[in-house]
Amino acid sequence: MRRVSVDIGGTFTDCFVVWDGKHIEAKALTTHHNLALGFNEALSKAYHVLGLELEEILSQVDSVRYATTLGTNALIEHKGPKIGMLVTAGFEATVPLSRARGYGEGLDNLGQQDLPNAQRPEPLVLAHMIRGVRERLDFQGEQVMPLDEEDVRTQIRELVDRGAEIIVVALVNSVVNPVNEQRIEEILLEEYPSHLLGAIPIILSHQVAGRKGEYVRATSAVIDGYLHSTMYHALSALEQNLRAHKYEKPMLVIHNSGGMAQLNSTDALQTIHSGPVSGIAASEHLAMQCDLGNVVATDMGGTSYDIGIVVEGGIKHYDFNPVIDRWLVSVPMVHLVTLGAGGGSIASYDRMYNTVKCGPESAGSDPGPACYDRGGMNPTVTDADLLLGYLDAANYAGGSIPLNPRRAKAAIEDALCDDLDCEVIEAALLIREKVDANMANGLFTELRARGYDPKEFTMLAYGGNGPLHCCGIAQNLNIDRILAPPLSSVFSAVGAGNMHQLHIHEQSLYMVLYDSNTRHLFDDYARFNSIVAELKELGTQDLQRQGVPREDVCHSLELDMRYGNQLVQTTAVIPQHEVHGVSDVMAIITQFSNDYGKRFGEGSQAPEAGIRINTIRVAAFVRHETVKFENIKPVPAEQRTTPPAPGSRRKCWFVGHDSAFDTPVWSRDAIEPGMQIAGPAIIASEVTTFLVDPGWTFVAAKQGASWFLRG
Amino acid sequence: MSETSTKVAPKVPSAEEVALIKKFLNDTTLFLGPDPEIMRNHDLMPRSAEEDAAMKNLSDAHTVAKIRDRIQAGCDEGYEMVEQMGAAPGAKWGDIITGVYSASGDLAIASAGGVLIFSALVHHPIKFIIKNWVNEPTVGVRDGDGFIHNDSRYGNVHNTDQSMILPIFHQGKLVCWVASTVHEGENGAIEPGGMPSMAESPSDEGLKMCPFKVVENYQIKRDILTFLQNSVREPKLQYEDMKVKLFACLRIKQRIEETLNSDGPEALVATLRTTMENVRAEVKRRVSEWPDMTVRTYIIQDSTLRENCVVKINCKLTKTGDRLIFDFRGSSPEFTNRATNTILAGLKGMLAQCFLCYVWPDLPRGQAAFAPIEVITDPHSIVNSSYDAPNSQSLMSIFTGFTAGQHAVAKFLYSCPEKYTKVHAPTFNMINTFIWGGVSQHGETLGNLCADLNGMGGGARSDTDGEHALAPIFATMADIGEQELNEEDVPFLQLVSKKMTRDAIAPGKYRGGQGYTMIVATKDSEQWGFMTTAQGAKIPPIQGLFGGYACGCYPLSKVKGVDVYDVLQNEPHKFKHSIEEIMNDQPFEGATYSTYHMGMGFEISKRGELFMISQGAGAGYGDLLERDPASVIRDIEEGLMSQGVAERLYKVKFDPVTLAINQEATDAARDAERKARIARSVPYAEFIKSWNKPTPPTHLQYFGCWGDDITKLYMGSADKFRDADTPRPNYMTHPKDVRIAELEARLAALGAMGSDKQ
Repeated sequence: MRRVSVDIGGTFTDCFVVWDGKHIEAKALTTHHNLALGFNEALSKAYHVLGLELEEILSQVDSVRYATTLGTNALIEHKGPKIGMLVTAGFEATVPLSRARGYGEGLDNLGQQDLPNAQRPEPLVLAHMIRGVRERLDFQGEQVMPLDEEDVRTQIRELVDRGAEIIVVALVNSVVNPVNEQRIEEILLEEYPSHLLGAIPIILSHQVAGRKGEYVRATSAVIDGYLHSTMYHALSALEQNLRAHKYEKPMLVIHNSGGMAQLNSTDALQTIHSGPVSGIAASEHLAMQCDLGNVVATDMGGTSYDIGIVVEGGIKHYDFNPVIDRWLVSVPMVHLVTLGAGGGSIASYDRMYNTVKCGPESAGSDPGPACYDRGGMNPTVTDADLLLGYLDAANYAGGSIPLNPRRAKAAIEDALCDDLDCEVIEAALLIREKVDANMANGLFTELRARGYDPKEFTMLAYGGNGPLHCCGIAQNLNIDRILAPPLSSVFSAVGAGNMHQLHIHEQSLYMVLYDSNTRHLFDDYARFNSIVAELKELGTQDLQRQGVPREDVCHSLELDMRYGNQLVQTTAVIPQHEVHGVSDVMAIITQFSNDYGKRFGEGSQAPEAGIRINTIRVAAFVRHETVKFENIKPVPAEQRTTPPAPGSRRKCWFVGHDSAFDTPVWSRDAIEPGMQIAGPAIIASEVTTFLVDPGWTFVAAKQGASWFLRG
Repeated sequence: MSETSTKVAPKVPSAEEVALIKKFLNDTTLFLGPDPEIMRNHDLMPRSAEEDAAMKNLSDAHTVAKIRDRIQAGCDEGYEMVEQMGAAPGAKWGDIITGVYSASGDLAIASAGGVLIFSALVHHPIKFIIKNWVNEPTVGVRDGDGFIHNDSRYGNVHNTDQSMILPIFHQGKLVCWVASTVHEGENGAIEPGGMPSMAESPSDEGLKMCPFKVVENYQIKRDILTFLQNSVREPKLQYEDMKVKLFACLRIKQRIEETLNSDGPEALVATLRTTMENVRAEVKRRVSEWPDMTVRTYIIQDSTLRENCVVKINCKLTKTGDRLIFDFRGSSPEFTNRATNTILAGLKGMLAQCFLCYVWPDLPRGQAAFAPIEVITDPHSIVNSSYDAPNSQSLMSIFTGFTAGQHAVAKFLYSCPEKYTKVHAPTFNMINTFIWGGVSQHGETLGNLCADLNGMGGGARSDTDGEHALAPIFATMADIGEQELNEEDVPFLQLVSKKMTRDAIAPGKYRGGQGYTMIVATKDSEQWGFMTTAQGAKIPPIQGLFGGYACGCYPLSKVKGVDVYDVLQNEPHKFKHSIEEIMNDQPFEGATYSTYHMGMGFEISKRGELFMISQGAGAGYGDLLERDPASVIRDIEEGLMSQGVAERLYKVKFDPVTLAINQEATDAARDAERKARIARSVPYAEFIKSWNKPTPPTHLQYFGCWGDDITKLYMGSADKFRDADTPRPNYMTHPKDVRIAELEARLAALGAMGSDKQ
């Protein structure tokens, strides 16, 4: 297999090249003005390793795959066109009011609770650029008020006169019957034909999101419209760069659904968070190939702690209404939780409880922790880690950031020691204990809310600070196995290299499987089967458009179901895709009941209140060859070997121990697969520090994988 | 001739006799009604011997913090479960709380999200259970038991909220309680939806569940469940949410058991108690930072939801040292047969909410945050009603009481050296939404309300405008929902769902956040109706701050005698998407157009008839003549305000076509207005002389104190009053009887009244 996959992040462009069994990792700084430059530089590092030229690689790989934060950055930086928006008359304030709760989406708990300080984010579409058009459909898609076409023409002209550069249309109940949205598109094309210079792009909400919910669908369409041109130009430039270097296949773009597609089958919204989602995909692939069982993927960086869940049996965890930046949207996105905890989290004195608080405020990278010596005055987790002896002041981040322990000490003393009446090391230990507990509590809630027991999981720890804090976090959760994965410095790019081409189509509907009023079981099998068949066909066509033969397309079927009038919609993965009788209906009900009971507790099911399907979802995908990991499982204890003498020793303090340990320090490069090191110990690499707490054992495995085992 | 007698002082009973009397009274209790000893106390219970011992053994603050964070995560998990699994609309928009209570019944740790008023209320029913059921041989409290409760008189906002309460045992000993509370809506009351404004006695208010056992061995007892289902309009909802609350409690229980196993029961007990005592001490410390002073304010309710009247909520807030005292004496007497009364605990709960959401949002959720704050009221007043008065619409008094508190507190915060959030004008405080009920298009019997109640406008801040339709005053991160999803379940459309209501503003240097218009019409059911329950159709229910103005008034408008769905199909041009246009243009021939106060009792709606209301605006802050003219123009552009109103109020001059500001003309107009103000002004003493009247006006039904004299409470007219300390019944005549009397008087005046009057 020959393949290139890339994760373009805010700071680094990570590149992973698979070339006939060789796995090459490479990194370069992201070049925001022209992403192709960073990509070329990263790839050049890889082809030097292989002794090849750029064209040689690109002309021979089966695919080039991109995950990118480009869209996320454009949203945060508020770089987008002036949007004009048409909505159903009477719903003009739906987007500006953002379901009321929009003021707090994307904020931490305190930000959400502080109502006098509440401020909605700067709008992507200005209130006066939203116009109502006279039309209305009911929940079944029947016309209550016909579309007033003259009104539409007037509104469009006014929006264009006011400077609209793109038109977004989001009408009520358009997912059930898109006829009015489609007619508006026709009218726009009549007024502003596409071949003329004044042509204006248009986004129809039902094409962006297939589920009910006029606000989340409208926001999704607005974000799509907002990012469309930026993303199109940047990704097209990347694709042209590939063409210029002899790559002749379609470029594949990673989606936040956990799949990928060609540029012509990608909308901007689907690319948001595709980098972190790729990390979860890599975890899934690794777990499956190496038989790791349930895995919780954790990525601890400087400002945040990302959590993703991968469980055995292929159950996917999606967010159907994820928050992107500050916006609640409707897109099936691989479930990803971000906690405000990282090396930059600021520690402060908690006056009420006479203890230490940690985060959610972060010093970020500028000014960064006090020990960065860049003007940061607040003590952070990194400052505590430095004083506790875990970090090498001279070689942090490969030596690129010299750390100043005196600044760390002063910051902790000033902020905490007087109030807590303790020594600086004691305070630093409290900071570590607190941040580890915060992350553990976040992880706990995340897993338990989905019905999982943390003890049944292997923790995957990656990101700059992941292997440094993983023992402390796992200990709080009674997790005994931690894996710092192979190829961890480009882990998201590895994930991109293992994705399948995938498209998800879904339909909101009101389908009663069991009517508790009439005590009637669902029997309209033809309706169910025709909807599933239609969704399958849409996905198949998507893939055929990208050159995939029809017979290679696979499908999976998911149903969002609920009891009675609940809010929750539990997703049941249904193996049989057609329903032909009562036993098929009962099989669906049983599957749903099992999944629900697992999540909320056996016995919590309430079929007596009725059972409904709210959404039918079909994923169409084509399987690609995937990267083969070596056997990265830890070798049995009796086969493990001892490491060479440590390169140095440092005094380190650990939670729960009164005095410091004279802790051995190794370079990660010196540790061969199969070697075992008992904690306390430090194994340092250029990009991270593996901290082995007392009671834990470090075991090196193949491909740079590292295990932390307990018990 | 006079007769004298010598009174013999009664013998003081000995301790033994007191014990005998107590035992006799205990043994002969007829009915375990609401217990004033429990209901009047919102402070923490005294530290128990077990708590004292546990705290001595675990004094390390950092360990306590670790355990507390873990339990907090458990409460948040339980909250998420209820929100996800709950069937009631209230559960879906976060009208929930989950929490862990001490063995004595105090709420120590509550979920971070949810409705905080509950945090000051649900401890009462737990204390009732402890006092009455633990040692009661026919009941008892055992591992595996669960208790249900909804009756406000035993500690609740109103009877539409239901709690599930579970005791947690460790090795046979009660160590704490967990509870989950949800605004369920339907409860079998005289009107659907659980908050009847027609209730004239507690008997009209539906289910009245004092705390009783409904779960044994962690299973809901089917016989009791069936009885409860049989007592409400939505048996499905009753079933689903009882189960949801039980399983949420069980999930929190798991988290507690992990702590019990890892750290032991003493660590848990010490953590709960230490948490509460720390928060209470912090509140005292923060209060002590406030300036010593007194602020007086009041809020007016303009109806009982049955008739127009003027009802005063009087508030004096005094701070001395580390004491903060809310004095609501002088507020209206309770209504004996109207539902707008609240029990005292409800008022306290909402004041607690004010502090947790609007004053110290950083404080952890729990009972301790309000524990040291004092509240004084008159007995049997509208904010401290008797147990015999209906209170299903207690929100009317709870919310106006909240606003009085919020208004007074803002003046303290302005002068406070350390602020924990922004100084702000009052938030809009009324549930301007449609409550609905009937048989849906799917044949289901439903009764509940639109989530639009969560879209109350935010008050203006000291440095910026208020946020439109921000949040209900009782919750954060609440949701006004998605109409597409609502329409799947109910047989009416919101023809106007979210459109800003023009000119419904609260002006100021910074304006309040505005509300939006809702126009509904039943479509697919012949058995469907609406009701509304709010103040503010004639008198704003909030006040502005530091020169800012209150919001406008928002009546209910109706159009009858039309099927708007026919109009939309056949003459769609006639339909307008604003109350203003429909009521002014009256576009449907033959229809009747009318306005009402916002207390519409449940009314069956025929297909296509229009019911129209608006959410309200938060109050303004500062002098409106100081408002940036560019902000005024932006408000016009965004459809918040008409040009005429902008010019008249803000004295801004601009080109009506381009909206370009004429700065010179604006300055001149504002100068002229300032001079006109001076010209209109009179010396204070002169103003008081002309302004003050000795008694309330005769043409209004007025309730409450008049002026500063809080010893006399008026009860509807200048000659009907009571001593504040001496309760008297305060009956209102049925509005239909009032109307009949009016018509009879007119008939009599016309000489048309027969002699056979019945």
